[in-house]
Amino acid sequence: MAGAPPLPQPSGLRAWLLSAEPNSRWQARLGRGYLGWRSFTKNPLAVLGLGIVVLLLFVALFADFIAPYSPVIGGDLRTQRLLPPSETFWLGTDDQARDIFSRIIYGSRITLFVIVLVSIIATPIGLLVGTVSGYLGGWVDTVLMRITDIFLAFPRLVLALAFVAALGPGIENAVIAIAITSWPPYARIARAETLMIRNSDFIAAVKLQGASTPRIIFGHVVPLCISSLIVRVTLDMAGIILTAAGLGFLGLGAQPPSPEWGAMVATGRNYLIDQWWVAAMPGLAIFVVSLGFNLLGDGLRDVLDPKAAK
Amino acid sequence: MLDIQNLNVVFGTGRLRVDAVKDVSFTVKRGEAYGLVGESGSGKSTVLRAICGLAPITGGRVLVDGRQVTTPRDKTFYRTVQMVFQDPYASLHPRHTVDRTLSEPLAIHGEKDAEARILQALKEVGLGPSFRFRYPHQLSGGQRQRIAIARALILRPKVLLLDEPTSALDASVQAEILNLLDDLRRKMELTYILVSHDLAVVAHLCERLLVMRHGEAVEETTAEALRSGKASNEYTQSLIQASQGFTRKPSQATAIAG
Amino acid sequence: MMKPLLEVEDLRVRFHLRTGTIEAVRGVSFQLGRERLGIVGESGSGKSQTGRAILGLTPPPGEVTAKRLAFDGIDLQTASKRTLREMRGGRISMVMQDPKYSLNPVMTIGEQIIEAYQAHAKTGRAEARDKALAMLEAVKMRDPQRVFSLYPHEVSGGMGQRAMIAMMLVTDPDLLIADEPTSALDVTVSMEVLRILDELVSERGMGLIFISHDLKLVSSFCDRVLVMYAGRVVEELEAKNLREAKHPYTQGLMRCLPTLANDVHPLPTLNRDPSWAL
Repeated sequence: MAGAPPLPQPSGLRAWLLSAEPNSRWQARLGRGYLGWRSFTKNPLAVLGLGIVVLLLFVALFADFIAPYSPVIGGDLRTQRLLPPSETFWLGTDDQARDIFSRIIYGSRITLFVIVLVSIIATPIGLLVGTVSGYLGGWVDTVLMRITDIFLAFPRLVLALAFVAALGPGIENAVIAIAITSWPPYARIARAETLMIRNSDFIAAVKLQGASTPRIIFGHVVPLCISSLIVRVTLDMAGIILTAAGLGFLGLGAQPPSPEWGAMVATGRNYLIDQWWVAAMPGLAIFVVSLGFNLLGDGLRDVLDPKAAK
Repeated sequence: MLDIQNLNVVFGTGRLRVDAVKDVSFTVKRGEAYGLVGESGSGKSTVLRAICGLAPITGGRVLVDGRQVTTPRDKTFYRTVQMVFQDPYASLHPRHTVDRTLSEPLAIHGEKDAEARILQALKEVGLGPSFRFRYPHQLSGGQRQRIAIARALILRPKVLLLDEPTSALDASVQAEILNLLDDLRRKMELTYILVSHDLAVVAHLCERLLVMRHGEAVEETTAEALRSGKASNEYTQSLIQASQGFTRKPSQATAIAG
Repeated sequence: MMKPLLEVEDLRVRFHLRTGTIEAVRGVSFQLGRERLGIVGESGSGKSQTGRAILGLTPPPGEVTAKRLAFDGIDLQTASKRTLREMRGGRISMVMQDPKYSLNPVMTIGEQIIEAYQAHAKTGRAEARDKALAMLEAVKMRDPQRVFSLYPHEVSGGMGQRAMIAMMLVTDPDLLIADEPTSALDVTVSMEVLRILDELVSERGMGLIFISHDLKLVSSFCDRVLVMYAGRVVEELEAKNLREAKHPYTQGLMRCLPTLANDVHPLPTLNRDPSWAL
């Protein structure tokens, strides 16, 4: 780069971003990003999804300031148990006289923890296995894909249950269990994309420049697989949240008194008829966040992976 | 510069065996432009791909600059021989800027002074520095092909393999690219091997050429002979005739193909 | 003069995109009798969109307007969907560039021809079968019976394109629109396909619109040529008078092709005058 700071041209930032003749790597990249953002914001539902996800982030980050009560220590068990939603307790209280609103706020941290950890464990594994397998082909492909098939053949929740049973209940083990069961589809997607890319001319061209195999895979194949993978991971988030909640519901995920949404639904089960809010409120939170990720994923797909959109 | 002896290329085995190239031999002198002409399935592109290692050499020898090529090819080979592909829409990485595309070969071979070299390469193919940070989708077909040529030339190779470099382009753009290739050959003393189905394009760029059919060499001839209609082979004649456009009276020559 | 088969006046095709409106065809007018008309232009000249618009095959965001767009006196703009459907594939047919994408991969070639025929003619199956076989013979298939039961992936490009022509001509259309029918084929094969097309067109007295980028090919095959540039017709001339083309674009297109006959270095390139696009 020439070192000169990218100065906005007279016609403003927009024109600078959309310039057909970018002056630097950064301008080219930002221009691309801006175009993507523009087409993303054309889809109101996707923006709503993004809003929900941002809200989740915000709530998790500032839980200490938002939550009016402690999520763990309840109030007076004689007078404040199972109260319906009111001005004092916005979403009511549970059987331990804890404020459900505060518990949901703090529970968002656990949800976020699960999502982030699962995606940073499962996505790279899937990407690596898929691209290596697809690009190298031959026996490497056969071995890696059979391993993938084995993982794919297990029902996710059952395998997660088995792992948790072996490792002991707890949110960390639940995360590991979910991550281990969620990479195979990513490996499949990455492999399918790689198979298409592998024989294209631009890969042949870089081969003819003498590029090494790792250089081709990481510099040329991975960047093209990554966008469809991001879309898929985002769409899978809902499933991951549900699996985490399911494990919590079965008592194998987060342990009491931690305010995990699935576990909260599980306790509310006993009061479903008379004190519906105990189960419904965390259920609603699970629903809203899952929906948010699905909408965001759909929007991202339109931007990042136009082929698959229609 | 380039010596091909009894080249054979076979894909697959058993019932799936395809003899793509059968006993093809030719030599190309330094600074010469040599054409391979034929229809689809004639094996002309496979010869090119076998030279640069994208297709296996099943039999015969390929010598570049007097040395037999190794499998896999070494870095010296890639500095000597480079290729330009047919479809400029497929041969550039869609997510890489021109800058990234051109700096890749320099990085692989540990070349210094990338910025100056990139600007120089752009200039050589008739594009200004304003193209440096564009993505392929911001370029026209002709501009893309120029970038592909710049990429092939940035390592200063001696031999350029051209696989139908203009067949995906409009006629007027084809003329520009052909002129550019003509110029570059003279300025950089390059050796070309041009693969094309278009006799006129081959005759325009090359001095000598080999007509191929079904993986075999039909005849080796010169552009001069094509022009004066001296091609002896019947198949070559039929190609010449077909390249002249449609003729209303049915003729013997075009009835050959089936 | 005979009543024209197709009348096109001020045809416009617009695409409303997020980034603005693009006018792919900008006021094209021509009339077609039972003759061979060539439409030539480079990519982006609007030649394919012109052909598609006549058939009502403009892809979704596109909008087609015309002062007059009539086939055999029937206004195609006001005609009912039903009339249009009957017309399309019945009286007007289209042959596309690549048979690989226009033939249904899971049906045999014979079945597809029969289906095309029965969609427009109420006949029994046996009769349709005979007609399909006759059609395969008409496109010079060596063994019509065998080709009849083959799937599209089992035939070569040239055979696929001939099958496509058979399918398009089985309904005895009055107008055939051929969009780059031979550019995916080898030269010798494409000459053969053109010869078949030529015979069928003159035998049956059809009108033909031949859309291509290849000026040399079009002028040797057609009676009349429209040269398109940036969505407009810049020149219309008799094919045999191509050498006397007036417009600098047509002249440039003619000159920039390398020929076997004369060796010109460097090739004259085309300097695009912005005023051509106005």
